[in-house]
Amino acid sequence: MQIKVTFYSYFKDLTGCGETIQDVSDGTTLAALYTQLIARFSKLAAMEKSTLIAVGVEYQPRTYILKEGDQVALFPPVQGG
Amino acid sequence: MVNSREKTLTILKRELSITTDAINEPVLLARRSMSDGMGAAICFLGVVRGEEGADSITAIDYETFQQMAEHQFKLIFDEIEKRWPIESLRLVHRIGMVRVGEPSLWVEVISPHRGEAFAACQFLIDEMKRAVPIWKKPISRRSQSAG
Repeated sequence: MQIKVTFYSYFKDLTGCGETIQDVSDGTTLAALYTQLIARFSKLAAMEKSTLIAVGVEYQPRTYILKEGDQVALFPPVQGG
Repeated sequence: MVNSREKTLTILKRELSITTDAINEPVLLARRSMSDGMGAAICFLGVVRGEEGADSITAIDYETFQQMAEHQFKLIFDEIEKRWPIESLRLVHRIGMVRVGEPSLWVEVISPHRGEAFAACQFLIDEMKRAVPIWKKPISRRSQSAG
């Protein structure tokens, strides 16, 4: 299945794009998705531990198993205020 | 001490605005409403400082993931409603370019007593900084003059 991934803040600079589509197999977790994205966007590797991940508008753990239609957002720690 | 009736008070007024418009305090204050049982109204204003770390800056460019930010604020408001008797909670967060000296955040909390108003406001801002997807990009005075 295809998962739409959106990048925010300076992650857009690290990847050179605001969003991408990643092909994943059934049962793929967010952790596995991140590993696949690092293979395409190597600068994400240094941010792996601090990256926040949302599916839709909810934060999800790395163990979350992706489903058809999920929209993933990757971004650095937030800084409102 | 908060009695049980106050604990179950639902937030009668919730207002949230994430906007590129400048924060207009007089207009916001003019729209304040408090019932007779409310004894505390506190406002917090977050203003862009002229320094970010060791760097002198002219502005901060705020970015958000708006749909998620609105959802995360709603979750925080829900949690505040469970914890404290708050009658009104209003928040404005500006996004886009905010110059030094201008406010980026305005919060108002209205409750029966000051204790819960201060506690709820502190909680709201702490949780916002932990969970609400808003990021800031400082605009350095050096980079701007170099450009």
